[in-house]
Amino acid sequence: MATVLHENEQRSPRGGASRRAGSVPSGMAKARRREAIVAYAFLSPSLLFFAIFLILPLIFAVVLALSAWGGFDLTQIEFVGLDNFAEILNPASTFVAPILVNTLVFAAGSVVLTLVASVVLANAINRLRFQGFWRTLYFLPIVTTVAAVGNIWKYLYEPSGGLINGVLNALGMSSVRFLADPDTALPSVVVVQAWASLGTAILILTAGLKNIPETYYEAAELDGAGSWRMFWNITLPLLRPTLLFVLITQVIAGLQSFALIIVMTGGGPGDATNVAGFEMYQQAFNFGMWGIASAMALVLFLIIFAITLLQLWLFRQRGEETS
Amino acid sequence: MKPRRTPWFSYLLVVAGAVIMVVPFLDMVMTSFKGPGEAGRLPYRFLPEKFHLDNYLAALEQLNMGLLFRNSVIMTAVAVASVLLTSSMAGYALAKLRFPGRPIVFRFVLATMMFPPFLFLIPDFLILTNWPLAGGNDLLGRGGDGGLTTSVAALFIPFLVSGFGIFLMRQFIVSIPDEVIEAARIDGAGEFTIWRHIILPQTTPVLITLGLLTFVGTWNEYVWSLLISTVNPDLMTLPVGIQLLQSYLDPNQTLPIVMAGLVISIVPVLTIFLLLQKYYIRGVMISGLK
Repeated sequence: MATVLHENEQRSPRGGASRRAGSVPSGMAKARRREAIVAYAFLSPSLLFFAIFLILPLIFAVVLALSAWGGFDLTQIEFVGLDNFAEILNPASTFVAPILVNTLVFAAGSVVLTLVASVVLANAINRLRFQGFWRTLYFLPIVTTVAAVGNIWKYLYEPSGGLINGVLNALGMSSVRFLADPDTALPSVVVVQAWASLGTAILILTAGLKNIPETYYEAAELDGAGSWRMFWNITLPLLRPTLLFVLITQVIAGLQSFALIIVMTGGGPGDATNVAGFEMYQQAFNFGMWGIASAMALVLFLIIFAITLLQLWLFRQRGEETS
Repeated sequence: MKPRRTPWFSYLLVVAGAVIMVVPFLDMVMTSFKGPGEAGRLPYRFLPEKFHLDNYLAALEQLNMGLLFRNSVIMTAVAVASVLLTSSMAGYALAKLRFPGRPIVFRFVLATMMFPPFLFLIPDFLILTNWPLAGGNDLLGRGGDGGLTTSVAALFIPFLVSGFGIFLMRQFIVSIPDEVIEAARIDGAGEFTIWRHIILPQTTPVLITLGLLTFVGTWNEYVWSLLISTVNPDLMTLPVGIQLLQSYLDPNQTLPIVMAGLVISIVPVLTIFLLLQKYYIRGVMISGLK
């Protein structure tokens, strides 16, 4: 699929416009200018939107992060330099630990779970009949609102009357207060995040699996390789680019998502499940600390940006490998 | 891979995983039929003693479902229509028209996709609050009470244009043969006619895919709607309302009502997803490989 997009890129149509202009030499410049005006007319709604709701907010975010501001009159904004950053990155503040640490644990934990489960399951589904049916089942949480996913799981985790503790009790174990215990709260939310992302990962990995030529497996089978050896020596190495892609996109999603936290725990107990996005949201909209909150948003963005650059770099490597 | 033996181990894995995926939803449905006090009772029971359908009526009544549906429908419909319109127009210009600055504009569109939504939460909110001449604001955006954040437009404004949508449409419009467009131009068709009568019909499957991705994303959107709802409760959407109901009510007595509300909120998206699944799945594959 990636190669299809690439081909399209190269077929970029210079030809059409120039051929037309060439056929009417007298009006060439005029036709070109008209075409440019039409093009910008078609682009104008999008460009106007990006100017107001992309560029302006980005500038605003940086300005706010460098200021102290009460939140009402923009003329009373006070420039404070890097003070906000100094405050939140101070080792004594809660933003670095536990909040940023939680954020990384949340992202890394859910990604590891998603990746391991999706590789195993995508590979297994690929051997079965009715593949579409199985993938649909794994896809259900993706089309379900996070408010529903969070509440369903909150009830599953419930110590009195929830399904999971019901099963534990039936097996003779005592109930676990999954979301109320600071030691289990974060891992419990991580499981839900992984559960909810599994479908996308399986789908993308399936596309990767279908790209591995059948002949490799046939050759390995002739050489007497079993399914385990084929998985380790053919499937995994050839799936590496797809795996890297899933890894990085899921890490990025994990670092920024906090809707599940709002719905399931509200960051608690204490700060046990508080993550950077949620802290930013609270600082801004509950406490009116616009400067601090904007600084938090930028720090989180820089972390994500670094990972995006890593992604681009890895893709470039991959492009060189395949060409 | 087509092994000769039945892949028992794979079946075992996939079925076990499927149980973990589906049981939470079944538990939700079962709980939505349970009677008062039955949900928190020990020991846990999966099936309700008796199927109480009245939980659904109670959810509809207590939630003001009409308002929630209206807001969710407006937010989603406007966002989908706008994304389809702006993406196909901008995509056409970037794919088939020649104009100075095209490579820069295209790179800019690609760059817009790098910025995660949380970054815009605070500035977008403040920009809408201080929007000139809205909600009692003066020309400089001051003095009013909430500006645009109290209008229903606040729900959909941040979702009106999608960089990914423009990119997606551009990639597909590029592969429409130039000859088709050329022929229409020779026949005297203007660019708008070409866009309307050639580009749109030729890209219908992609439009469905993009529309579906936007629909599911907007219908399920949570953080921005929550923020707007706290400013003006009349703008509450379905996902936010469900969560609020949950926090209002005593969980053990009324959990079944919450679960009934969840079922009601999930069903529209689930139905559309199951009907148009192939388009959605293709969209995820494309966005996964962009």
